[in-house]
Amino acid sequence: MATVEVNKHLTKDTALSVFRTMQIIRQCEEQLAKSHQRGLVHGACHTYVGEEAIASSIFAHLRPEDVVFSTHRGHGHALAKGLHPRELIAELYGRKTGCSQGRGGSMHLFKPEIGMMGTSGIVGPCILHACGGGYTFKIQKKDNVAVACFGDGAVNNGAFHEGMNMAAIWNLPVILVCENNQFATEVAFSYSSGIPDVGRRAENYGIPGFEVDGNDVHEIFRVGGEAVERARGGGGPTLIECKTYRTRAHAEGMGDFTYRTREDVEEWKTQCPLKRFRAAAISDDLVTAAELDEIAAEVKALIAESHEFAEASEYPDGATAAKHVYFEGPHDPPPPAPPQGERQTTFVAGTLEALDHEMGNNPDIFVMGEGIGARGGNFTTTLGLYEKYGAERLCDTPICERGFVGLGCGAAMSGTRPLIDFMFIDFINDSFGEMINQIAKMQYMSSGRLKMPILLRGCIGIGHSAATHHSGSYHSVYAHIPGLRVVTPATPYDAKGLFTHALRCQDPVLFLEHRELMSIKGPVPAEPYEIPFGQAAIAREGNDVTVVALSLMLHHALDAAEKLANRGISVEVIDPRTVSPLDTDTILQSVGKTGRLLVVDEAFTPCSVASEIAARVADAGFDDLDAPIKTLNGVFTPTPYAPTLEKEIVPNPETVQQAIEDLLAE
Amino acid sequence: MAYDIVVPRLGWSMDEGTFAEWLKQDGDQVNAGDMLFILEGEKAAQEIESFDSGILRIPPQGPQPGDTVAVGQLLGYLVEEGEEPPFENISVGKATTKSSSDQESKPPQKDSNVSAGPAIRRLARDLNVDLTALQGTGPAGRITQEDVRAASKAPANLPATATPMGGKRSTSSPRARRIARELGLDPTTVTGTGRGGRVRERDIRAAAAQAGKTTAPATSSLASLSGKTIPITPIRRTIAERMLAGIHQAAPVTLTTKVNATNLVNLRVQFKAADLGSQTPSFTDLIVKLSAVALTEHPLLSAQWTENGIVVPERINVAFAVDTAAGLLAPVIEDVGAKTIRQIATDAQALIEAANASTLTAEQMRNGCFTVSNLGGFGVDAFTPIINLPQAAILGVGRIAKEPVVVDNQIVIQEVMALSLTFDHRIVDGAPAARFLDQLRSCIEQPSPWLMG
Repeated sequence: MATVEVNKHLTKDTALSVFRTMQIIRQCEEQLAKSHQRGLVHGACHTYVGEEAIASSIFAHLRPEDVVFSTHRGHGHALAKGLHPRELIAELYGRKTGCSQGRGGSMHLFKPEIGMMGTSGIVGPCILHACGGGYTFKIQKKDNVAVACFGDGAVNNGAFHEGMNMAAIWNLPVILVCENNQFATEVAFSYSSGIPDVGRRAENYGIPGFEVDGNDVHEIFRVGGEAVERARGGGGPTLIECKTYRTRAHAEGMGDFTYRTREDVEEWKTQCPLKRFRAAAISDDLVTAAELDEIAAEVKALIAESHEFAEASEYPDGATAAKHVYFEGPHDPPPPAPPQGERQTTFVAGTLEALDHEMGNNPDIFVMGEGIGARGGNFTTTLGLYEKYGAERLCDTPICERGFVGLGCGAAMSGTRPLIDFMFIDFINDSFGEMINQIAKMQYMSSGRLKMPILLRGCIGIGHSAATHHSGSYHSVYAHIPGLRVVTPATPYDAKGLFTHALRCQDPVLFLEHRELMSIKGPVPAEPYEIPFGQAAIAREGNDVTVVALSLMLHHALDAAEKLANRGISVEVIDPRTVSPLDTDTILQSVGKTGRLLVVDEAFTPCSVASEIAARVADAGFDDLDAPIKTLNGVFTPTPYAPTLEKEIVPNPETVQQAIEDLLAE
Repeated sequence: MAYDIVVPRLGWSMDEGTFAEWLKQDGDQVNAGDMLFILEGEKAAQEIESFDSGILRIPPQGPQPGDTVAVGQLLGYLVEEGEEPPFENISVGKATTKSSSDQESKPPQKDSNVSAGPAIRRLARDLNVDLTALQGTGPAGRITQEDVRAASKAPANLPATATPMGGKRSTSSPRARRIARELGLDPTTVTGTGRGGRVRERDIRAAAAQAGKTTAPATSSLASLSGKTIPITPIRRTIAERMLAGIHQAAPVTLTTKVNATNLVNLRVQFKAADLGSQTPSFTDLIVKLSAVALTEHPLLSAQWTENGIVVPERINVAFAVDTAAGLLAPVIEDVGAKTIRQIATDAQALIEAANASTLTAEQMRNGCFTVSNLGGFGVDAFTPIINLPQAAILGVGRIAKEPVVVDNQIVIQEVMALSLTFDHRIVDGAPAARFLDQLRSCIEQPSPWLMG
């Protein structure tokens, strides 16, 4: 274990520096509260008044390349990590010069350039993100640390448990800072927790835990310093509970005395961390009153200037509202994919070749999932890679989908490329919030300064009596979410090309493999190649009717087309290959030729990709339609177990053929 | 410097609240951090903190306890010792900015109360019908397609989503309607073979093929000739549509007759001898003028069929066919009855030049009520011209040639010309059309009196 010396006791310089940070936070918050009252802050405003000692003291030990993940009460964290007050105030005023360029506001502060990786309006995920930052440093062999700051409200959330456990078992360089201000919005911690303290929970996970006076700079500085030293030196995570109090309302403009008393608030105001630090530091002869007054006056001018700057700044141009949903940086289009060739391999072997090749080239890629290590994956998705790349890059996980997906998010934000191998999509639904609230939105909220190169892959689809928790097809649900790419390959050739593209693109990708396709064989070139997203394949050309079919349904549609060809009916079959982005143009061109459209998808029809395709064609292709658009979907029901029930709820080649014939009769 | 005291927003969606009371008196010293007044929001009454210091000045006309106040509304000032507050800026009593009652009193969007579906609204827009003026005849007073069409001044040959046919509704697919437009067919006249009798693309193409007028098979799935494909220009497509419409949407009948054009030829010789330059009338110009004379006597031949009735124009505007490199064009000479033959000749010359230069405006091809098509220069005797809808008739002019003619039991040589009149039998019957043609014949045989005006 490397030793990293950290100064645990304040010198005069650090004392002045910590005091200055606290002054900046306090005065900035007071300016924001005033501006909120005057209508300059457009949305929420959660201040950190009363809690300044915590971030100011712990972050005094951090380096710019250390990363901080925070929560909705994050102004103080951003300022303590080095954000200029101008950028914070401008962000709350909704201006272009704000740290999130007007896309975030009070709860979504991003400054990745200085390691301020983001604040979140959702309580809990920052713990998982910090674990991800820690995992990145482990993979990249750096002695940086990742810090999560969260309130007492987060510790009764599953993210706390999953994050604590992952940090412990992987010995991550993570510091989990619980700012226990005793109320989760307006619900008292004494009500919502079985025990009154948080720090001692660490023992259950096998990691060091501390309970400190959150308004005492000296104490926090000491404990924080030890934690940073431990993390940098490879000693793993630390939980620090700082007992404190916010002396302003949960959010500006909210009432305060329905859940706590005036007397309590007034009592805590006497514990103001700035006042206490001032008194102690002067009496200890660490600093003089004049030095502190000078800092306060200097900060006053800084905040006044920052407010003026923010108020004078422009609002962002409304025309840019949809910018940065996806990565927009420069990237060269890949060379055209090679012809399919003669070599045959299975669907899953195609993706395994792609993964092996990319892992060989890119040391930032790591895989997480249940049984993907030595076992090689439930579907042999990682067979042989563990021996080749080791346990850190082929990382078996506990069964905590939300936890390791959230970890993947934090890892992608901080510079690695995680591949989450989730086995069945039904499992990954446990991490729905991490995917749609965090992973899908990070690039946007950070106005394109963060990248989110995370790949989540696993099975969809009904078959072999898997029953309802191993058979879902939720691509329609995820295609609804801006910021995600959703890929549904249907052939081994497409699977390898799309998988390679997914491992090279900068956006989050859900790579959904139908279980009944995993072992099918088809032509796959041996060399690496990419198939870009948003390009449908014309799987069979025809003139009389267009059939758009996804995933396994493509094969049913091709079977039906072959049978109908014998009767002189010419069916064009299109595989969108990715449902987000969706290649509407290719479908429209086909419908322009045939005048008839059938969409076949195993997923249910309400609010589905099938209904979306139908809607787009009904709009843009209206004058080309010679018949109503038809959809053939799975039945709107959970998946039953008995074979006699199961077969009733999915389209098969016969029902696809019948649907085509019905459409031709329209 | 005076600080404004304004109504803050409590919670995210508050627009207005109730002013409860001041916690300080007018003239009191207020320090930053003091509670200044109580405001009732949606959830509860809250004490509002002052972030500034100064002497509170409460305007006498300002909000009173219980008044509704808007977020951002000015309530008073914090001033310095001896400073006068600008009370004149403060409005009396209630909220001055937008309130919910203001929003409710906004006039409803035009015709949004009318009970009609989106398809009906669209039809009404297309036909320029004001839905608010209609009484619906459908269930619960809903306005139906028939109501809109009945109120419309537009002709019935617009593409329709559905029209009553034999008491049953027949529909056509969007693609069928598009192909029908391209081929100049009325889809409502075609029998559908789709589900419930829906007219499909194949039905339109079959109907067009039956009429023998389709230009080329449009889908690649049909067998096609090998050879060079000439792209269809917009002019070509327009001509195709109008020609097909002239056959499929009207009831065309062609009458032919021969006329003695000896006097007309003589007259033309005299004009040419006079060397009038661009004012020298062509045979077409002369016939245009004489047609207008006959149309004035027989106005039904210049009338137009509409849903509301047969419209007879006030002025006789005559179109004439011009053969250009791009295709057939039919510019219009306006108010021919009021123009001298020299004016007609000048107008026609300018229109022909514009046609050849492709600079004809849509305006110059609009509002014709009769067309003259002269193929005499190409050695044609007689032909069956196609009506240029919505006009009622078209006159085909053949060549003028010397022929032996029996006059008073003597064979004499005369300049003879064939006239072919195609008319729309929906508008006018055979006999009146024949009477028009007979009058035109007599005008041509004795032209001078009719050309004096």
